[in-house]
Amino acid sequence: MRRLGIAAVGLLAVALVAPIAITAVGAFSRAEWYGERSEGARVADAPALFSYVTETWGGALLRSAEVVVAVAPMALLIGAPAAWAFRRRPFPGSRLLESAALVPLAVPGVALAFALIQTAGGFPRFWLLVGGHLAYTVPLVVKTVGNSVETLDPRLEPAARSLGAGRWETASRVTLPLLLPSLILSALLVFAVSWGEFNVSFLLATPLIQTFPAGLYLAYTTNSFPVAAAATVVFLAPVVPALIAIQALGGDEFHRGLPA
Amino acid sequence: MTRPQPIAPSWTGALLALPLLLFLVAGVAWPLAHLASRALTEPGGAAVREVLVAGRYRTALVNSLALSAAAAVVSLLLAIAPAWVLARQRFRGRDVLRTAISLPLTFSGVLVGFLMVVLLGRIGAIPKALGFLTGREAFAGAAYTVGGLFIAYLYFEVPRAVMTLESAFRRFPGELDAAARTLGAGPLERLLTVALPIAAPALRSTLAVTFSASMGSFGVALILARRFTVAPLEIYTEMTGFLNDDVAGALCLALAASTLAVGRLLAAGRR
Repeated sequence: MRRLGIAAVGLLAVALVAPIAITAVGAFSRAEWYGERSEGARVADAPALFSYVTETWGGALLRSAEVVVAVAPMALLIGAPAAWAFRRRPFPGSRLLESAALVPLAVPGVALAFALIQTAGGFPRFWLLVGGHLAYTVPLVVKTVGNSVETLDPRLEPAARSLGAGRWETASRVTLPLLLPSLILSALLVFAVSWGEFNVSFLLATPLIQTFPAGLYLAYTTNSFPVAAAATVVFLAPVVPALIAIQALGGDEFHRGLPA
Repeated sequence: MTRPQPIAPSWTGALLALPLLLFLVAGVAWPLAHLASRALTEPGGAAVREVLVAGRYRTALVNSLALSAAAAVVSLLLAIAPAWVLARQRFRGRDVLRTAISLPLTFSGVLVGFLMVVLLGRIGAIPKALGFLTGREAFAGAAYTVGGLFIAYLYFEVPRAVMTLESAFRRFPGELDAAARTLGAGPLERLLTVALPIAAPALRSTLAVTFSASMGSFGVALILARRFTVAPLEIYTEMTGFLNDDVAGALCLALAASTLAVGRLLAAGRR
């Protein structure tokens, strides 16, 4: 029975990873899969293939990085103080606000993107993108930090205060260090979600402001298989280490993941 | 040991949560309210009627609902056993398997669609392998059918269901199961009378999570859908192809409202 269960888990893992493995092999093999390549000799071998990908979608890669760099600190600043307040300094309506914070996860990205364009179309596109990404990352921060605050001893902060520490000293020397693992975990979750976000980003994309997943769409629809496979590998390269770190930190909230 | 002081309502708390409140209002509630208010006035109202009454728009909505419901139920059934094993058993390689299973959660929808094409496209790996083994290529081009779309949905919903259930199963009170066993209950009886009632809220919230993710899924259908259409794809087409903002807005509203309503329904009674 026990063996059977473990075998089922293994089988599931293999079924989920096999398509990636097949694709990655496609990126590194020189076989003329899928016939003529429109890119010709420029993708003759693996190094040329990858430099072709980073050249063609370099702008989108950079844009994705910029979005992540803007979204991660903002999501933490919006989500973490609120998560702490919900547990330690509840106020009238705080429960309602806490459950409202999770609602965006259930709003289809396409609908939110359309609504954002309709209401705030005059804003620079980059900041609309950041706003859309925040909607799907702030809830994860609120949950992750909230769970972590729950496990802290509620007497630590009053103890620090009674020993003469001021508010800021208590926050910076007691609360923040204790919450650091969950803040790091939150930042990783934000990265993993923001890096792969497509539904909002693709609708908000302009020819100039485009994230890498939108570039992936172009690679899949207009390029040969080896180029598409290589672009997939480039997409996955930062995600896999982030995911391993998330698992190591016990990233429970990651099960919400991305709406594909 | 003294009990912690009862906490009085606090302005500090409200102040710390203010950025969250402002963001939710300005970034989410206001745009969605604007969407709804447009639909209540003409010509938005006419577009809502057009979407709900008949034709391809309603078909797209119904397709989304049916596909998402089916994907939610099937992924839940497939996820129960792996989630239980991951949550309750210690074995070598558990962390590696867990990481592997959660990998698809980071994937864009387009990536999942592409993987489906690699496996089951017209020159897909599975048809080629079958051709090599049996001499007859089967399932070529299956990725572009409803079945292919469904498998793609399962590809990103099963990991989500496993991870959601796993964190619920970890909190499962094992001693109750043990008590039922000492009282002579067999495995099936324990499953039906102890485990399932306790796990019911987790099962429902898993359904809610996977259902809403499927409803919002756009990239997969963008790559795979041919004759079959889903609501997010239809919204995209109306918006960028036909520049028909009224219909796109009405579809957005119908999609968001039905997603949130079903999610509420599944979460209702969860305490």
